[in-house]
Amino acid sequence: MPAGSPDIHDLEPQAFLEEVHSFEFWFQAVEGYLSGTTWGHRPDVSEQPLPDDERERLITVFCNYCVGETAALEGASGLIAIAPNHLAKVFLSTQVADEGRHLEVFYRRMRDLRVVDPELEVERRASRSLQLFRRRLLELVAGRDWEAAIFAQNVILESLEFAVFHDHARTADPVTGDVLRRVIKDERRHIGFGENELGRRLANAPHIRARIGQIKKELDRLVLDALEETARHLALARSDQDRLGRAYLESVERLGFGP
Amino acid sequence: MADFLSAYSIQTWLESCPQGYLEGTLYGHAPGEEEIPLLRENSVLHEDAIRTTVQLVVGERCALAASSGLINAAPDEASRRFLATQTLDEARHVEIFTQRLYDLGIQKADLESTIKHHANPNLVKFAEILLEKVDRKQFVAGVVGQNIVLEGMAFTVFEMMHALNAETNPKFAHTLSGTIADERRHVGFGENRIGSLIKEHPEERPAIERMQRDMSYFMLATFADAFRDTRAFDELTRIGQERSHSRYQGADLGVLEPEEMESLLADTVLKEFKLRLGRIGIEYQTPPRP
Repeated sequence: MPAGSPDIHDLEPQAFLEEVHSFEFWFQAVEGYLSGTTWGHRPDVSEQPLPDDERERLITVFCNYCVGETAALEGASGLIAIAPNHLAKVFLSTQVADEGRHLEVFYRRMRDLRVVDPELEVERRASRSLQLFRRRLLELVAGRDWEAAIFAQNVILESLEFAVFHDHARTADPVTGDVLRRVIKDERRHIGFGENELGRRLANAPHIRARIGQIKKELDRLVLDALEETARHLALARSDQDRLGRAYLESVERLGFGP
Repeated sequence: MADFLSAYSIQTWLESCPQGYLEGTLYGHAPGEEEIPLLRENSVLHEDAIRTTVQLVVGERCALAASSGLINAAPDEASRRFLATQTLDEARHVEIFTQRLYDLGIQKADLESTIKHHANPNLVKFAEILLEKVDRKQFVAGVVGQNIVLEGMAFTVFEMMHALNAETNPKFAHTLSGTIADERRHVGFGENRIGSLIKEHPEERPAIERMQRDMSYFMLATFADAFRDTRAFDELTRIGQERSHSRYQGADLGVLEPEEMESLLADTVLKEFKLRLGRIGIEYQTPPRP
């Protein structure tokens, strides 16, 4: 939106969508928080040496983050082909670049943590529940089920990542925290798209809600298993683990998809 | 391979593209730049600008579908991440050329019907050949079709259009210059990454060579339609508007007849194909001339 234009929230609904789904909007948004960063963080944020056991646990956590981001990259790129209009295609393209960036900065972080071959390490350590989630998401995309795939990708997966990254960033070492806080800003945009896209469709075709509810039930189990595993590697207390699970469920519920 | 692919990382892309040559642009050009009045006032030139821009949108939509579709077929993570940046580049191209249609007066509600009305059927067939390979997750063929043939064509067409517009329509020329910079990166990736994969999969060569010949045929047919059907050159002569004497491939574009321009463009693209395909170990197949 050119400088001096009216506030974006004053736009009519269609004009608002055209604005927020555009490359131009993405471009302005990421400039604000990626400008001057290297591999997803400010170069002046200093590395804090970690004890070996903590470093090992963090590597496993990043392996799981990479599975989530790979699923998101594959899901978003596959969704472009079935997106119902060119605005959605353009938005998903910005999401593809975001997910690719997340994957890149997470791999880089693993190299910083002295992992020689991050791809191999991801294969070795990744959570089985997350891998099953990834497979299911790609089945929904391959089945060209737009509503279900957008729900799985931009509501469930993004809400899971948002809850976990948000929690992890609070206690993480400085570099990891800086990386995660910038990734979270992207996730907010993706959740916004999912919420908006599904919200409008549900308003026009309420029968979709039952189908989405079934998919949520199926995916919740995998998500909560993955959360439990990640929380264990982050050495969270049981109460924190439960809080994380609730944070995920609440963030999905806020989008109108309750238990 | 890892070292070469690091040049195609998202970090490099962020520094060179959004934080580089696109910084300060709006829909690919400087804020405040507008289409020249002549294009809006003269109905023949207006129609010609719309028709030309529609072909750019059709080509870029194909490139967007292909690059996003190839991500899930890529054999390594670094290639996927490069294709993620290419997906966004192509989406940006779709957006800026679509915006040009709006700038030329097309109403948003009429966008799809305008594209359908003006899309060249030969360009649509060209796209279908590529997207069939992508749908089948044939990565090597898909990247050759996308990053050598389609991008090679786009690069050359954009360069010629840039030369034609540099003096007369700075807004459109600036829009094109960003896309040319993107296409250069895409072609480079195709050449570098695919060469090694072709060596690993020599059995794919014949099908790739057939694809290149078929895509080249429909590309030439598209050029033929574009130059033979245009009324823009006659209209410029009729209204006494001198054409820009910019130079392209050593020729003065201000004096060439449409057929000569078509030949110059076709020969330049085919020469580039031959050179680039040779670099990756594919034997160039001469297409029949439409």
